[in-house]
Amino acid sequence: MDVRGAPPDAEVVALVLAGDTEAFGFVIRRYEAGLLRFATRMLGSRDAAQDAVAESFVRAYRHLATCREPARLRTWLYRIVTNRCKSHLVRRSVADVPLDDAPPVADPADTEAALERADLLVLVEQALADLSPDKREAFVLKHVEGLSYEEMAVVTGERIPTLKMRVHRAREALLKVLEDHA
Amino acid sequence: MKRWVVLASAAFLAAPLAAQSLRGRLEGRIPSAAIPAVDSLIQFASQEGLPTEPLIQKALEGGAKHVAGPRIVAAVQVTLGQLRDARDLLVRAGDQPPVLPAEMTTVAWALRRGLPAPLVERVVAALARPPRAAAMHAVADLVAHRFDPDSAAGLIIEAVHDGVPRERLLDVSTAALQQVQRGHTRAEALAIVRRQLPNVPAPSKPTRGNVAGARRPASPAPP
Amino acid sequence: MSVIDPRIHQALDGELASEAVPAELRRAVAQLVAAADLLAAPLPGPAASLESRVMAEIRRPAPSRARRVMGWLVTPRAIILRVRPAWSVAFAAVVAALTLFTTGHDGPELAEHEGIAQFVGRFPEAQSVHAVGTFNDWRPGSIALEDQDHDGVWRATVVLPAGTYEYMFVVDGERWVPDHLAERLVADDFGRENSIVIVRAAPR
Repeated sequence: MDVRGAPPDAEVVALVLAGDTEAFGFVIRRYEAGLLRFATRMLGSRDAAQDAVAESFVRAYRHLATCREPARLRTWLYRIVTNRCKSHLVRRSVADVPLDDAPPVADPADTEAALERADLLVLVEQALADLSPDKREAFVLKHVEGLSYEEMAVVTGERIPTLKMRVHRAREALLKVLEDHA
Repeated sequence: MKRWVVLASAAFLAAPLAAQSLRGRLEGRIPSAAIPAVDSLIQFASQEGLPTEPLIQKALEGGAKHVAGPRIVAAVQVTLGQLRDARDLLVRAGDQPPVLPAEMTTVAWALRRGLPAPLVERVVAALARPPRAAAMHAVADLVAHRFDPDSAAGLIIEAVHDGVPRERLLDVSTAALQQVQRGHTRAEALAIVRRQLPNVPAPSKPTRGNVAGARRPASPAPP
Repeated sequence: MSVIDPRIHQALDGELASEAVPAELRRAVAQLVAAADLLAAPLPGPAASLESRVMAEIRRPAPSRARRVMGWLVTPRAIILRVRPAWSVAFAAVVAALTLFTTGHDGPELAEHEGIAQFVGRFPEAQSVHAVGTFNDWRPGSIALEDQDHDGVWRATVVLPAGTYEYMFVVDGERWVPDHLAERLVADDFGRENSIVIVRAAPR
């Protein structure tokens, strides 16, 4: 279904709270790609990310009445997913988990640029995995998911200066990896 | 207090058990749209003298696994077919109708675990009396570990004829598997165990610590 | 970690216009932007939607309180040995009356046709693991494995009537996996495989 013609978030939330369970499908279709991408970058595993995001959607449905600003549903969903990812990470060291998203397979007909992109992605993914979860979360929310610092503060419950510091440290670590590789 | 509790528990038990219906077990567990079809399949099985519990369990399984209603109905139909095939096999092998439900379930297990039908028929015919569950699973365990099916069946049939109690037959297959783990070929393993019959190594008992911690399944869901 | 020129951060935080970024810093900015673009690209491989999985969970009706109690009372095999604290005293008393055996120091005494099943699985990231199968009418939640020493190995030892059972593990309430240690697998007719456990009557 084309979600561009679908109702805005505030309206969908109202529909679901009024008893239209199926309307929650709009929420899933609208946000699952971004949430999955975020969770995959956080957890380093597509399977774990699917579990985390699916569970997050179920929780979001069950606690939808507690979403105070339905117009900012996206931020609220990211908050649930970041908490879910934190729970997943508490029990394991990310460094021990191999990134199971294989880099794009290089077709022999690819240009040099495409091959370089593939190599770079592996490097960046590893650098991301080497970050502490706090810094990784901050970097991914800011630069991959495109949240503002204000939105990140709502999602994580942290103060903006703290978040800025984490993003800055993450950039520095990433830049060092990129410059060493170049 | 204790007497009251006993009487109260009897009252609690009697009414629900009498009122227990098939629909009561399925409602809330499988998509409601599928209940009529599953119900009629189970009634059909009952009229044919086939066991119904495997069909109920298959429906409950589908519901628990969040399978769509039509797929649940299809799986229950498949299970019904398997039980019917099992009954026909038992009759061919010499069991007189009406065939025991437990034997139909056993043969259905054996076929689902991959034993060829002629092999299952051979084991049924060789073990004239039920129950055959332990024998079937023992043969299936060996076949699952890549023992030659006919040789595996031969060992278990011989064990029965040598007087090994039915409930010890899984120890016979375990003994053969252990010989392979010790480095023998499968043929050697069968020969070693065959030489020991009717003696069979005793099964390992759960440790005292394990048994002390054993518990029965908890209730379905807290209120 | 090395500290980089703060203007790089300002540029990436949108506090400094890109034209105002000094030439010698533009490469660093571009490298970080490129890295972020790579991470933001669609993930490779087929993108299976979570919608059906999530909606199925949401649509599943929660059983009414009366039905849950009835279900507990008529469950053919489950005899409760452990009482949940949230239950009322009356139900606890009924549980005590239904329990056929007293719990001795060595654990439950087994009836003539009862045996012990041991479930073990390695799930280092799990928050919960349950055994669900024909021994509990495929109800998740009634046989919980425990990982008491937090080594990622989950266990449960359960008293069951002797017989053959199909089951799977349910990890974190959502992920269904066969018990790979069981070494007996059978197709479940739903596209997955169930494990089989054979409970033998305890020798007397």
